Amino acid sequence: MNHTLVEHASDSTPLADSSVKIAVRGLDFYYGDFQALADITCDIEDNAVTAFIGPSGCGKSTFLRCFNRMNDLIIGTKVEGLITLDGQDIYAPGIDPVDLRRRVGMIFQQPNPFPMTIYDNVAYGPRLHGMRKKADLDEVVETSLKRANLWKEVKDILGRGGLTLSGGQQQRLCIARVLAVQPDVLLMDEPCSAIDPTSVQKIEDLMAELKSSVTIIIVTHNMQQAARVSDETAFFLQEEMGQPAILVEFGRTADIFTSPKDKRTEDYITGRFG
Amino acid sequence: MRENFRKELKDLKANVLDIGRSIVDATHMAVQALVEGDLELAERVIAGDDEIDQRCLAVEEHTIEIIATQFPVARDLRLLHSLGYIVMHFERMGDLSVNIAKAARRTASRRGPQTLNDLILAQGNLVHRVLEAMLEALDKKDLELARKLQDLDEPIDHLFKQFFRELARLQDEEDIEWASSMVLASRYLERIADHAVDIGDRITYMVTGQFEAPPEEEG
Repeated sequence: MNHTLVEHASDSTPLADSSVKIAVRGLDFYYGDFQALADITCDIEDNAVTAFIGPSGCGKSTFLRCFNRMNDLIIGTKVEGLITLDGQDIYAPGIDPVDLRRRVGMIFQQPNPFPMTIYDNVAYGPRLHGMRKKADLDEVVETSLKRANLWKEVKDILGRGGLTLSGGQQQRLCIARVLAVQPDVLLMDEPCSAIDPTSVQKIEDLMAELKSSVTIIIVTHNMQQAARVSDETAFFLQEEMGQPAILVEFGRTADIFTSPKDKRTEDYITGRFG
Repeated sequence: MRENFRKELKDLKANVLDIGRSIVDATHMAVQALVEGDLELAERVIAGDDEIDQRCLAVEEHTIEIIATQFPVARDLRLLHSLGYIVMHFERMGDLSVNIAKAARRTASRRGPQTLNDLILAQGNLVHRVLEAMLEALDKKDLELARKLQDLDEPIDHLFKQFFRELARLQDEEDIEWASSMVLASRYLERIADHAVDIGDRITYMVTGQFEAPPEEEG
């Protein structure tokens, strides 16, 4: 099913549909005077993987960072419009961004384990949120590493530094670290572009396993990856330099990659530009 | 962007159109051989079929290779998928032309009733028209023409039925033997046109990305 987003762009009411995890209505985003995103409206499905694709500089990472208010950390940025998580406005006064970032975890392009042991990396978040008992921490570390498909590889070396692991293992360690605080949503910003093919495969498999409990949004430059891992695909485009990026098309991944509705999507995914 | 890939697709399509041209020629020659009792022409059609088969197979292999190595999507994927199907139809249409040529072999020694000869010739001309339209629709991605193939096919089916009615009137035993080969040829021609209509459906999918439901069969 392709969402008819453009038609709904002016509709500011989030859908009451329980399958919608995140609803975006008429979102504009600015870096100072420069408008980076214009009038984005879409629904991110719960328990699904949604991929954001588009040429470099088309605003997909900027958009991703709106979901956990990471852009708030950049001075001069401004968000207009509405983003709801489970029906709640995430930019409303009184929303604690730190608490939001626990619910909406993020994985970056470069794995970034903390310079501490594997165990402490995973236990970091739960400790921050007040978990003190060793038995509880042990359990959450084991469960999280298992969910990240890393447990078997590290269970005997939990005291070793996280940075001693391979790149692909480090990335899964970062995923375990995020999972340890039980997020609802996992944002992944090109999570596989800096790691080896075997690890890429492991992370792609992991996404398929995790989506039953976590809503996943992935930004990727690799269109085959988007086609492989995602249920829904959104195509973003900045049509002219200096102009804001727009959401061109959003629909079922299978539809986007066989019969996209918009010629710009078709031209991009078939390699005619970008 | 992806210039080599673009060229590869373009060449592949040109190749498929060229095989299609061979199919049109083979069908035309087979009908001519049948109507004129030209054995030499019939043998040429039969001998030429191996090459058509090989070329169709080569296209199919090439489409699989491109899918495996280039990860085509959207219109490129639809083109490749459709070309794979189209050559499958071509291969069968070539076989049907061979069957007509074999009917020509069996009937060459005798001239049957003119009415039936005229009917086959008329049917052959209509099939020729459908095949030409099919090639043009494929070449130009002409959606309207692709959808029109169904209409062009209808009179061919009627002629086949008429052929049967004429057959029932025959008295002479040798005429009947001759005509039974001709009625098979008429049936093969009708089948060739049906393949062209199926190819039209593939062209429609190739252009629109939608599979259109076939019209309901008549009673």
